[in-house]
Amino acid sequence: MIDLLLAQQPLAELILVNAILAYSQYIALRAGVFSLATAGLASIGAYTAAVLTVRWGVPMPLGLAAAALAGAATGGLLALPLARLRGVFQAIATLAFVQIVLSLALYAEPLTGGAMGMNGLPRTVQGWHLLGVFALVLYLVFALSRGGVGRAFDTIRQEETVAVSLGIRVVQYHRLAFALSGAVAGLGGGVMAHRNYSLVPEDFGFPLLVSVLTFVVLGGRAAVLGPLAGAAVLTALPELARPLADYRLAVNGLLMVLFIVYLPHGVVDTVLLQARRLRLAARQRAGEARA
Amino acid sequence: MALVAQQIVNGIVVGSTYALFALGFTLIFGVLHVLNLAHGAVFMWGAFTGLFAVTALGLPLAAAFAIAMLAAGLLSVLVDAVAFRPLRRRGSPEFAAIISSLGVAQILMSAAQIASDTQVQRFPFGTFPIVFYQVFGLRVSLQQIVIVGSVAVLVAALLAFLFATSFGRQIRAVAISERTASLLGVNPGAVHALTFFLCGALAGAAGVIIGIAFNSVHFLMGEPYLLRGFVVIVLGGLGSVAGAVIGGLLFGMIQTLSVAFLSSALSDAILFGLLFVILLLRPSGFFGTLRREIRVVRQ
Repeated sequence: MIDLLLAQQPLAELILVNAILAYSQYIALRAGVFSLATAGLASIGAYTAAVLTVRWGVPMPLGLAAAALAGAATGGLLALPLARLRGVFQAIATLAFVQIVLSLALYAEPLTGGAMGMNGLPRTVQGWHLLGVFALVLYLVFALSRGGVGRAFDTIRQEETVAVSLGIRVVQYHRLAFALSGAVAGLGGGVMAHRNYSLVPEDFGFPLLVSVLTFVVLGGRAAVLGPLAGAAVLTALPELARPLADYRLAVNGLLMVLFIVYLPHGVVDTVLLQARRLRLAARQRAGEARA
Repeated sequence: MALVAQQIVNGIVVGSTYALFALGFTLIFGVLHVLNLAHGAVFMWGAFTGLFAVTALGLPLAAAFAIAMLAAGLLSVLVDAVAFRPLRRRGSPEFAAIISSLGVAQILMSAAQIASDTQVQRFPFGTFPIVFYQVFGLRVSLQQIVIVGSVAVLVAALLAFLFATSFGRQIRAVAISERTASLLGVNPGAVHALTFFLCGALAGAAGVIIGIAFNSVHFLMGEPYLLRGFVVIVLGGLGSVAGAVIGGLLFGMIQTLSVAFLSSALSDAILFGLLFVILLLRPSGFFGTLRREIRVVRQ
């Protein structure tokens, strides 16, 4: 039994890494920001951590912290032009941002190794570290959603006009969402750099962007556990059902279409919604019985 | 000086294909107010259909071109039926449309990957005669002339269709207000299908032209065009037909000039950086739009 669990450890670690990236996407979407920048921000975090630790001998925890900071700073900078834009335009601009990061990583060869990437990176992040980083991110998201910031995010996402009329400063909250999403993405990228032995600019391109988006759509965009559920299911699916692995792209695409059409709130949100509905109905029945 | 002029000529040729691709992209946004992220995959399938018609069926290039346009148009209507129609009925926000079209794009790309065995396909040698001319000291190939000529014909045909026929008037009416148009007896469903067919056909034409011009057809070819298409339509203004044409030409010229004089590695960073500059300075684009009241910036 223990052996079986240990054999699944690489898969579990991959799920945690993907979930961290999914939370970066989640924070943006929760605030109603159509940012697809997570892949680009993760790339910045990954290269920051790798360059600092390999080239300048900075210890791993400091490298991770620097990665998170770099991600947050980039996200904050990105917010300056983008927080004032609306939906589709944010999506387009952040798609372009991912391409800019990709081509700069290819261009800055002395620093990043260009198209050949950085190879032979020491694997310094162990399972426990990963779990710790993940717990930190999860705590951040939980704290966020319980507090006023989470309520402000929810209001902005559901109806921006109402949010404005309630005195919520939409642009500032969007800036905050960009920076937080950047910090988490940077952290995720940093973890990837310390786990993967090698780093290539193409790791952080369109495919990563799409899969991170799929995690959140599948899991749920409001409930805190949604992204984790999405990342777990979609990461484990090709590993457990081998024949599916060849058609991974198509399966991902099919799931995206089916979910957004038939289950638009994702698994976790839908389950929570149904549970709440049942509870309300039960309470109503109880009330009627008394009356 | 001659080098600059030569690069501008090359840029116009490249830019005209971008314009053709972006036209369909921008038209869908103008009429339905959604981003169709499957447009690049439709474009790629247009190229594959053209290739198939030439290699397997042995058809002449003109016939293959027509078949590719037809097939891509039909595929685009199918994309609408699968990805957008269910959401339209529910009145879903723009986010859902982005996700579902992205999903359809993944499926189409995966199908092409399996069909082509992940190989780069090529048009057989001599599909297009290789002839060069010297015009005022510039080197121009017959292929470049035909590309620009066919793009010009297609754009003229689209403009004539949009602005001189009853169908075109219906499309423009739905673009301005779907509800008002349907009160006046326009069938919005038919207009949506027609718009998707037109846009797909234009993408298919662009796919064949680019497949021949670069002599390579592969399942990932739609992605860079999709991403560059974003810059083109933002440059021209989302939903603007004339803007897409001018934006495409400008984009092509900037691309060839930056590759020739700055650095080919940096050219993508420059082009996508351009997008940020536009969004900062003039987020509604530089040219008049089909639909002017798209809200870009928060109030």
